Amino acid sequence: MTIYLSRRGFCVGSALIGFQAISSGAFAARTEDGTIKLGLVAPMSGPNARYGAFSLRGAQMATKEINSAGGVGGRKINILTGDSQGTPVEGVSATRRLIDQDQVDFIIGDVSSSVTLAMQPVVEDAGVLLINAASSNPMITYKAGVGGFKWTFRNYPTDENRALIVLQYAAEKKGFTKYAVLSVDTDYGRAAIEFTKKYLPRFKSQILTEDYYKEGEVDFRSVLSKIRDSGAQAIIMYGNADSTPIVGRQMIEVGIAGKIPLIGNAEFNTASSIKAAPKALEGAIEAAAWIPSYDSEKSRAFVDKFTAEFREAPNNHAYVHWETVHLLAKAIEQAQSIDREKVRTALSNIHYASAVGEVTFDDHNQARLPMILLEIENGKPAIKGAYSAEIDYPK
Amino acid sequence: MTSAERTVATTGRDLRVPFGLALIVLACVAPLFLGNYPLHAIIIALIFLLPAHGLNLLLGYTGLLSLAQAAFFGIGAYTSALLAVNFGTPFYLNFLAAGLVTGAIAAPLGIPALRLRATSFVMCTLGFVIIGQAIAKNWISLTRGDMGLSAIPKPYFALGPASFTVSGTVGFYYLVLAIAAVATVAVYLIVRSPAGRNMIAIRENETLAESVGIPTWHYKLVVFMISAAFAGLGGSLYAHYLTVVSPLTFQMYYSTTMLIIVLGGGAGTISGVVFGSLLFVGLTETLRVAPELRMIAYGFFLLGLVFWFPNGFAPLIGRFWSFLEKRK
Amino acid sequence: MFYTIIEQVVNGIVSGSVYAIVAVGMTMIFGVLRAINFAHGEYYMLGTFGAWVAIDYFDLPYPVAIVIGVVATAVIAVVVGNFVMQRIVGAPAEAGVLATLGVALILQNTVILVFGGGYKFFSGGYIEPVTLFGFTLAEQRILIIIIGLIVFVGLELMVTYSRMGKAMRAVSQNIECCAVVGIDVRHVALWTFILGAALAGLSGVLTAPVNVSVYGGMGELITFKTLPIIIMGGLGNVRGTFVAAMILGIAESLVATYVGLQFRDTVGFATLMLVLMWRPHGLFSAQARF
Repeated sequence: MTIYLSRRGFCVGSALIGFQAISSGAFAARTEDGTIKLGLVAPMSGPNARYGAFSLRGAQMATKEINSAGGVGGRKINILTGDSQGTPVEGVSATRRLIDQDQVDFIIGDVSSSVTLAMQPVVEDAGVLLINAASSNPMITYKAGVGGFKWTFRNYPTDENRALIVLQYAAEKKGFTKYAVLSVDTDYGRAAIEFTKKYLPRFKSQILTEDYYKEGEVDFRSVLSKIRDSGAQAIIMYGNADSTPIVGRQMIEVGIAGKIPLIGNAEFNTASSIKAAPKALEGAIEAAAWIPSYDSEKSRAFVDKFTAEFREAPNNHAYVHWETVHLLAKAIEQAQSIDREKVRTALSNIHYASAVGEVTFDDHNQARLPMILLEIENGKPAIKGAYSAEIDYPK
Repeated sequence: MTSAERTVATTGRDLRVPFGLALIVLACVAPLFLGNYPLHAIIIALIFLLPAHGLNLLLGYTGLLSLAQAAFFGIGAYTSALLAVNFGTPFYLNFLAAGLVTGAIAAPLGIPALRLRATSFVMCTLGFVIIGQAIAKNWISLTRGDMGLSAIPKPYFALGPASFTVSGTVGFYYLVLAIAAVATVAVYLIVRSPAGRNMIAIRENETLAESVGIPTWHYKLVVFMISAAFAGLGGSLYAHYLTVVSPLTFQMYYSTTMLIIVLGGGAGTISGVVFGSLLFVGLTETLRVAPELRMIAYGFFLLGLVFWFPNGFAPLIGRFWSFLEKRK
Repeated sequence: MFYTIIEQVVNGIVSGSVYAIVAVGMTMIFGVLRAINFAHGEYYMLGTFGAWVAIDYFDLPYPVAIVIGVVATAVIAVVVGNFVMQRIVGAPAEAGVLATLGVALILQNTVILVFGGGYKFFSGGYIEPVTLFGFTLAEQRILIIIIGLIVFVGLELMVTYSRMGKAMRAVSQNIECCAVVGIDVRHVALWTFILGAALAGLSGVLTAPVNVSVYGGMGELITFKTLPIIIMGGLGNVRGTFVAAMILGIAESLVATYVGLQFRDTVGFATLMLVLMWRPHGLFSAQARF
C-alpha cells in the first residue's frame, strides 16, 4: 500500500507543479507595475555553471545598486534568470520562456557563443533587445547591426586586435620569435589563435607546438615538458581564469617558470593567479578589457563591494555582467522610456562612462572597448599601453 | 505484451481511434491558442521524438541498450547543416541525406560493436558520442570546429514554381508535426510487421530466437542502422530549427534525454514514447519556475521514475484505457 | 629523447594513480551492484568540497581536511546507498543508468545551490616541488602515488582474506547462490558502495591541491575518464582496473605530448573501443562475467 500511495503522491505532485507553473505564468503577464524586466540567460547548472554563477552575481549586484538609488526613472529592475546549461537547445528554450511567458523586454546572455548564436534569431523575430556580455565568437557581431541582426549588441571585446597587440608587443619589445600555443579548446581559444596566426608572418615569428586544453583540464605536465624541450620562447595562452593557477604551478614543477613567460589572456593579472605561482607568472603579458586589479575608482569600488558581499573575488564574467546592466540602465535613462525601439537607438548612440573608459558601439553593434596591455613585473601588473580596437569586418 | 497492447486485443479499438483523431485535430489547431513558448516546447519534444523512436526500436523492441543516439543525432545535424550552408540545398534533400548518411555510418560502427556483451556495448556506444565530439572539434576544415556552423537557412522547399520557405515558429511547428506523424506511423508499421515480432523475440530470448531460425545478427545490425537513421533525421530538424550546429551537439546529455523519454514513456510501446517525449520536455520547461531547484527536482524525478514506474508511464495509459472501457 | 619518454611515463603514472583510486571504487561497485555508477565522479567532487569547506570555513590543517572530506563523502554515500543503490541490485541495466544519473544531478546541483556555482580555489596541500631521480614533482603527487599503492594493496588483501571481501567476491560471481550460503546481499552491496564512494572522495581530496580549482560540476569529467578504465580492466576486476588506469594515464601522457593535448580525452574511449574490438571481454578477465 505504501508504494501505491507514493505513486499517487508522485503523480499528484507532478500535476501540482504543472498547475503552479501555468498559473504563475499567467500572473507574470498580468502584473504590470512598471518594473523593468531583464532576462539573464547563463549556464546555471552543468559544468559551466561556474561561469554563470559569477555572471548572475555581477548582474544582481548592479541591479541592487540601481534599485537602491531609486531605479531608472523611478522604475526598478527585476532580473529573471534562464538556465542555458551551456547548450543551445536549453538556451533557446530559456530565451523563449523569458520572452513569451515572462515578457521581458531586454535580455543579457549567454556565456557560450553557440548559445548566443542560437538566441540571435529568436530575439530578432520577437524584437527583444539582446546584449551579449561574454561570448567571443566573432560571428555574433559580423551578423549584427548592419550585418542583419539588429537587436543584438555585444559589450565584450573580440580577439582580433587583441591577438595583434599581444604579438606585436612580444615581438617588438621582447624580441620573441618562437612560440608554443596552449589555449583553451573552445571557440574563444581557437579563434584567438587563428587570429594570431594571421599576424605571424608580419613579425617573422613561428609557432612551434600547438595544443588546446579542454575546459576543466588539470594535467598540463606532459605538454609543458614538451614545450620546455621545444625551444619556445613564450607560451601563447588564451584561456580560462581557473586554469591559469594550475598551469602556473605545473610550470614550476616542470621547470619552465620564470624562463618561458605566458602571453595572451587568461586572467594572469589577478591576485589569486599571481599568488598561486608567482615565479611562473612573472613577465606574463596580457591584453584585457578589465582585470580585477584595474586601477580606477569605479573598478576598485566594484571589486571591494563584490568581495565583501559574496565572500569571493569577482572574475571577468562578474565584471562584464555588472557593467552591462549599468550600461542598459544608462541607455534606458537616455531613451527616457522602456520602449524597446527607443532603448535600442539610445544604445547605438550611447557614450557610456564605464569603469575602464568610454564605451561606444560601432555599426555592427559591437562595443568599442578600451583595452590595456599589461606585463607582470615583480609580482605586480604594470600597464604598458592602452589601445582601442577597431574591427575589420568581412565584406 | 504490455498492458496497453492487451487492452486493444481484448476490447477492440473503440475508443482509441476517436481519441487519436481528436488528438490530431487538437495538434493541428494548437497554434491558435498556444503562444510561441509552448509551441517551441512541443517542437523540441517532437524533434527529440524521432531519435527516441529509434532508441525504442533498439531498446524497447530488440532489447539493446544504447547511448549512441547523441552521436547519430550530431552526425545528422552536421550533415544537414553542411549541405544547407555550403550548397543551399532544399530541405527535403538535407533531411533525407541526414538520415541516409547516418544510417550508412552506423553500419561499420555497429558491426564490431554488436558483438559485445551488454555493458561493454553500452560503453562502446558512449564512446561513439565522445569520438564524434572530438571529430567535430578537430576536423576543422569540414566542421569549422568549435566555431560551429551558424546561420543555417530556414527550411526551404524547391518544388518548381511552388517553392516556399518555412519560417516562423508556427510554420516550423507544422513541419515538425507532419514529419513526426509520418515517423510514428513508420515505426508502427515496422513494429506490427513480422519483422517487429522477430525483434521482440530477440529481446525476450536471443538464443531461443536464433534457434527458431531468426537471423538475430542481421536484425540487430539493421535495427541499429534504422535507429541511427531516425536519430539523424531528428538531428536534421534540430539543425534547421536552432540554426546553429556545434560540437556541443555531441553530448551524452542528449543520449540520456532520449533514454529517459523511452524508459519514462514506456519502452516497447509507441504511444508511451510519444507521451514520454511530451512529458519530458513539459517537465523540464515547467521546472523553470524554480530555477535553482530545477535540476535537483529533475534528479528526483528520475529516481521516482526508476523506482515507481519501472515500465514507464505506459501501464498507466493502459489502465486509463481499461478504465474508460469499463465505464462504457 | 629517451629521457623525455621516461618523463612522460612518469607523468602518466602520476595521473594513472589518481584514476586508479577512483576506478577501483567504481569497478567494485559494478561487480557487486551490477550498476554503472554514473554518479561516481560526484563523490570525488564531494570529497574535494568536504576538504575545501574544512580548510576555508574552519581553518583546519590539510591532513584533518583529508579525513573530513572522506568522512563527508562516506556519510552521503550511506544515505544514497540506503535509498537508491540497494534498490538497484537485481534491476535491469537501464534502471541503474537512470538512477545514478538522477543521483548525480541531485548531488551536483545541491552543491551548486549551497556553495554557489563559481569556482573556488583550494589552498592547502603539499605543493612544493621536489626532485627525485631527475624528475620534478609536487610533493602531493608522490603522496598520491604512495596512497594509490596502499589502496591497491589494501584492497587486494581485503578481497582475498577478509570476510567482507570474500562476500563481495561471492556477490559479484553469483548473486542467487549468496542467499543460499547466507550472505546478506543488500548489506554487502551497501558497504561496497560506501567503500567505493569513499575511495572516490579520497582521490578528490588528494588531487585538490594540484588541481586548485574546485566547483560543483567537476565530477562529470572524472566519471567519463573512469568509465573506459573499468571496462578495459574487466568489470569487477580490481587488479585489472588498476593496471588499466595506469595504462590509460601513460597513454594520455604520450598522446598529449606527441599528438596534441586536445586529443587527450578521446584516448580513454578510443583505447577502449580498440581494446573491445580486439578483446571483447576486456583486457584482463579470463571470461566476461558481465
